[in-house]
Amino acid sequence: MDDGGDSRRDLAAGLDSKEYCLSDRDIVEVVRTEYVYTRPPPWSDTLPTIHVITPTYSRPVQKAELTRLANTLLHVPNLHWILVEDSQRRTPLITRLLRDTGLNYTHLNVETPRNYKLRGDMRDPRIPRGTMQRNLALRWLRETFNRNNSQPGIVYFADDDNTYSLELFEEMRSTRKVSVWPVAFVGGLRYESPKVNAAGKVYGWKTVFDPHRPFAIDMAGFAVNLRLILQRSQAYFKLRGVKGGYQESSLLRELVTLNDLEPKAANCTKILVWHTRTEKPVLVNEGKKGFTDPNVEI
Amino acid sequence: MATAPRLHGPTSSLSTSWCHCWGCSAPCCSSGSPVTAPGCCRALSGAWPSSRPSCGTGLGGGGPKTGGGPETGGAPLPTIYVVTPTYARPVQKAELVRLSQTLLHVRALHWVVVEDAPAPTALVGGLLAASGVPFTHLHAPTPPEIRRRPGDPPWLRPRGVEQRNRALQWLRDMRPPGEAAVVYFADDDNTYSLRLFEEMRSTRGVSVWPVGLVGGLRFERPLVAGGRVVGFHTAWKPERPFPLDMAGFAVALPLLRARPAARFDPAAERGYLESSLLGGLVTPAQLEPKADNCTQVLVWHTRTEKPKLRQEEQLQRQGRGSDPRIEV
Repeated sequence: MDDGGDSRRDLAAGLDSKEYCLSDRDIVEVVRTEYVYTRPPPWSDTLPTIHVITPTYSRPVQKAELTRLANTLLHVPNLHWILVEDSQRRTPLITRLLRDTGLNYTHLNVETPRNYKLRGDMRDPRIPRGTMQRNLALRWLRETFNRNNSQPGIVYFADDDNTYSLELFEEMRSTRKVSVWPVAFVGGLRYESPKVNAAGKVYGWKTVFDPHRPFAIDMAGFAVNLRLILQRSQAYFKLRGVKGGYQESSLLRELVTLNDLEPKAANCTKILVWHTRTEKPVLVNEGKKGFTDPNVEI
Repeated sequence: MATAPRLHGPTSSLSTSWCHCWGCSAPCCSSGSPVTAPGCCRALSGAWPSSRPSCGTGLGGGGPKTGGGPETGGAPLPTIYVVTPTYARPVQKAELVRLSQTLLHVRALHWVVVEDAPAPTALVGGLLAASGVPFTHLHAPTPPEIRRRPGDPPWLRPRGVEQRNRALQWLRDMRPPGEAAVVYFADDDNTYSLRLFEEMRSTRGVSVWPVGLVGGLRFERPLVAGGRVVGFHTAWKPERPFPLDMAGFAVALPLLRARPAARFDPAAERGYLESSLLGGLVTPAQLEPKADNCTQVLVWHTRTEKPKLRQEEQLQRQGRGSDPRIEV
């Protein structure tokens, strides 16, 4: 049994506590308890801002996903959350959620056109989900920040159902052009990863699915320096005609070459982000007319 | 202004953020002032104060304290013991990491993680130590005849029973009598808002609130009139004594101590696990409604998809699987 990091705790009853506490091995770092509970952390003048771009769409688990993602982001200093709804208008649910988090955020929306030829409510399947929303965020960044203004920033695309360690955000903060790292649970593998040589350069991709893609990497596996986004102002995710798995390449090929990629996460040997997916809840007991009060937000 | 960004909460190693004096787990005081909070045994300056309070003092009704923060003026908050059963599967680490990120925001919280395993694992132990959340790491293996097999449907047998009961045993045996605390059973794949924890902190017996995305509904909830629970809004087995989800209630620790026989019944029929515990503690009329008279959804019964690992399995059959030393 391990308790709070020190199993000797359990021996304490019966030991001379003074003797126990005076041991050098018990020297502890002092914690500023008020800092632990400051949400989000105080803004720093020296840290580059991380602009996290999250496309989102309405479905039963949406509020839950964004709640737990926000709980993660609230630990990260100098974070700016750009949440882009796939909707005609910014919804009250997201407006309230963002306000209540206390995070530094920008709330955007753009609706992916629907394909009415399919079942009435289907989005156009030729446009991969989230593409228009990510592109809108890139456009917003380019309209908001002047490329000559040296406000250091990093851009990261974070879908609302993945899982992110806090360490990941600190790894990406030092991105000079484009940095990369492994991602768990993609491509049918425990993880996909860039291949890094002894000189610390990326030379290929450790994937089973189409490793010869220009950038065989998941959306969650890279970050881009804001300066590069502003300089290459025409670089966007390709909207149509993109083969499955080539979305990321469609942007990255306009920004960087393989040689310029910066491997993070201990030369791409640590997993700091997981491509988790949430089950669609079965709301079978709602019936046709709805069992629960529709005014209660979930 | 702060310069170095912090990882994983207060420090990157849990053992350095808690005072190890005499078995308590209060954080030591900050800002260079001498010891002020009960339970603290070392001052920032490094000098032992002349009258050092042992962590035993002030523990009547105390326990692991994070008291002494500037906002509370030194009055200790009831600790919330979050009990999380967990088992090894590919998404385990991801689930626990993101749950820890929520829990790390909640003051006066102690995480009791109970592995369904014959021994504590390095994966969970390392994760807990790095999380920054005060924790206790237990284990209790599910007996083989009850354990679910891969491919068994999720509703076959209740899960997590032995593990939650192990946590109850630890709480009853190891926490000081009279400690004001609240126990909450939080599975590792659900989603919890921060507000939920503040709602449950004032639990005197058993408190309840709505749960989203459960029972085939958008949410299930207790029905409240005049500040009392008068029924339950649920479509699945509404005849249960307590038609609630595990995530929909919390129990005051003193009540658990007053009813030493109360535990989860491993033989409980599907859906009756919660009732098997609560029936030994309170009647439905005694339930304390939270979340604005049970009108707000502050917790969701999310479930995570099993990741597709077909290419991994293929490679492993060829002897070319991914490096197992790289922890996922």
